[in-house]
Amino acid sequence: MDDIILRVENLKKNYGKREALKGISFEVKKGEIFALIGPNGAGKTTTLRIVATLLTPTSGRVEVMGLDLKKNPQKIRERITYLPEEAGAYKNLTGIDYLKFMARFYAEDKQEFDEFIERAVSIVGFRDRLKDKVGSYSKGMVRKLLLARALMTKPRLAILDEPTSGLDVINSLEIREIIRSFVQEGISVLLSSHNMLEIDFLSDRVAIIDKGEILEIGEPEELKREYSAQNLEEVFRGLVQ
Amino acid sequence: MNKFVNLLKKEIKEMITFQLIVSLLFTTGLFYFIGVIAKSEIEKVAAERDVYIVDLDGSQESKVLIENLSYAGFKTNLLEEKDKSAALEYASGNNLDLLIVIPEGFSEAASQFEFKNIEAYTYIRSFSISSSASTALVEGVISEINRYISNSFLKEKFPDIDPDNLKNPIKSTDFVIVRDKMAAGSAAEVSSIVYSQSIFVPIILMMIILYSSQMVLSAIALEKQDKTLETLLTVPISRNYIVIVKMAASGLIGLISAGVYMLGFRYYMSGLMGNMPSSGQANELIQQLGLQFTPNDFVLLGISLFLAILCALGLAIILGVMVDDLKSAQTMILPLMFLIMIPYFISMFSDINSLSLPVKALVLLIPFSHPFLASQNILLGNYNIVFNGIIYMLAVFIILILIAGRIFSTDRVLTVKLRFGRKRTMKDN
Repeated sequence: MDDIILRVENLKKNYGKREALKGISFEVKKGEIFALIGPNGAGKTTTLRIVATLLTPTSGRVEVMGLDLKKNPQKIRERITYLPEEAGAYKNLTGIDYLKFMARFYAEDKQEFDEFIERAVSIVGFRDRLKDKVGSYSKGMVRKLLLARALMTKPRLAILDEPTSGLDVINSLEIREIIRSFVQEGISVLLSSHNMLEIDFLSDRVAIIDKGEILEIGEPEELKREYSAQNLEEVFRGLVQ
Repeated sequence: MNKFVNLLKKEIKEMITFQLIVSLLFTTGLFYFIGVIAKSEIEKVAAERDVYIVDLDGSQESKVLIENLSYAGFKTNLLEEKDKSAALEYASGNNLDLLIVIPEGFSEAASQFEFKNIEAYTYIRSFSISSSASTALVEGVISEINRYISNSFLKEKFPDIDPDNLKNPIKSTDFVIVRDKMAAGSAAEVSSIVYSQSIFVPIILMMIILYSSQMVLSAIALEKQDKTLETLLTVPISRNYIVIVKMAASGLIGLISAGVYMLGFRYYMSGLMGNMPSSGQANELIQQLGLQFTPNDFVLLGISLFLAILCALGLAIILGVMVDDLKSAQTMILPLMFLIMIPYFISMFSDINSLSLPVKALVLLIPFSHPFLASQNILLGNYNIVFNGIIYMLAVFIILILIAGRIFSTDRVLTVKLRFGRKRTMKDN
């Protein structure tokens, strides 16, 4: 029971008359990378935004570390971090100032603050450019800065929406390795992607979602076996067709 | 509290951009430059101007007439030319501005009450403020000549009577009454002094409100445009803090910007108005009528101004939620600008009490109307109107801040949008 970091039960979300989520349920365990995969408009970002306390569910229940999302959003925010798909950083701040600005919201004391910054600097990798303004960074540098921001506090649950979105192969590989290494240190990750090969490499379990419904949940290897598929793309095609 | 300060520091850092500083310095410099030019033009107008005269009459009477012009404060220069065309040629060749020609036989005709016209030639060499002063100069010279001639005749006929008493037998003594206080002076004089003393209040108010509103709208628009708002909303800080910090930082930067602009505007106005200090007599008149702000009045006026700024910030933050980027933020500021411009122009050029009841009610419904009217009402002792305005603005601010807090604490902060031409849908992967 203590192993469950996130529990989602019969979650529904409507935008006006449109049903974006039609009652999905899943759990994320401690130290696990759980991925939502599906095409555009499937409901992945909506699910992540609800868990990140940005959107309120129409119905259903979400618990993060035993805390009810509707009743304790503020306490949940202390335990999670969220990396949106199209996130940016404040262009007028330097990279290091941005990390310090974010770290101050989470650090209990100076020692913890220094730990956060040290960790973030090791994640971003471009120490020499951290005193430059974020506005001068490349897309890959901004994404690494944002990932460092999301992971530096060692959150109990990191919610990552398309973490390698728009990045080249090298940057994508680096980011995947960073995520993997942090999971080994005990954090849990809920991520979404429509890059199913990435998910195959990264995730412990996946939920295949389409049109607001979860079609299947399982380990990548298990799903591939069940659907006699070479990869998750074939599993997805089999499920949709 | 540390989180609050952390967020406030970030907001201020984000707002004080290189572009903002350049824009502030440039506008202030521009105002200063215009003020210096205006001042130099006005000094030219005020300076003693040369009057060139060619006396074709050459009589003793015309000489006395010219002498009298010197006594009346005109700087007269007598030309030696013996005919009009030579005098005009001289005037053209020497860039003279004004030439007065006293015709031949002028004195003789005047002695028989058959007056000949004095000819005045004004040379226009530019269309600046100073060039327009020549017309006034001609009128002044002719008026002085008329006064001298008519007084001479009257003195001759009635040597024991002051000619001014014959020309203006009835004189009036003006009194002004404000509330229960009365003083000797004209209503126009009082209005002019009060206007010149309080002209800056509506201008300052309008600038602060506009700058602060623009700042808060841009701050939210920028968060959305740069995709930083979603991250900010998931950090462990109260959403109300986010609203308050954005308002506080925008209010502060708006206040500083307006202050810097006003410094430039002050140069401009002092150039235009010539830094005219009120005379001791005028101050006495104002004191007698009780038309001065007491320290308590300043506090009341300050509260009124402060609440108007808070209302503007509250409204701007709600409007800011509906925009997607800086471009749409510029469009969204328009309704707020209209709400500020309406009372601004009414307070500058009209009296709200003279408006029809529905229009008056509509103007009073705009919270920004109340500080514009406050200074006048304080001076006139209508404190109830000022207090009611303050209570009304406080109520409006509380409602606005509750709405803003509500929007920020729900997903409306991400989903509410006004559409500007193109159709948009919320992203949903």
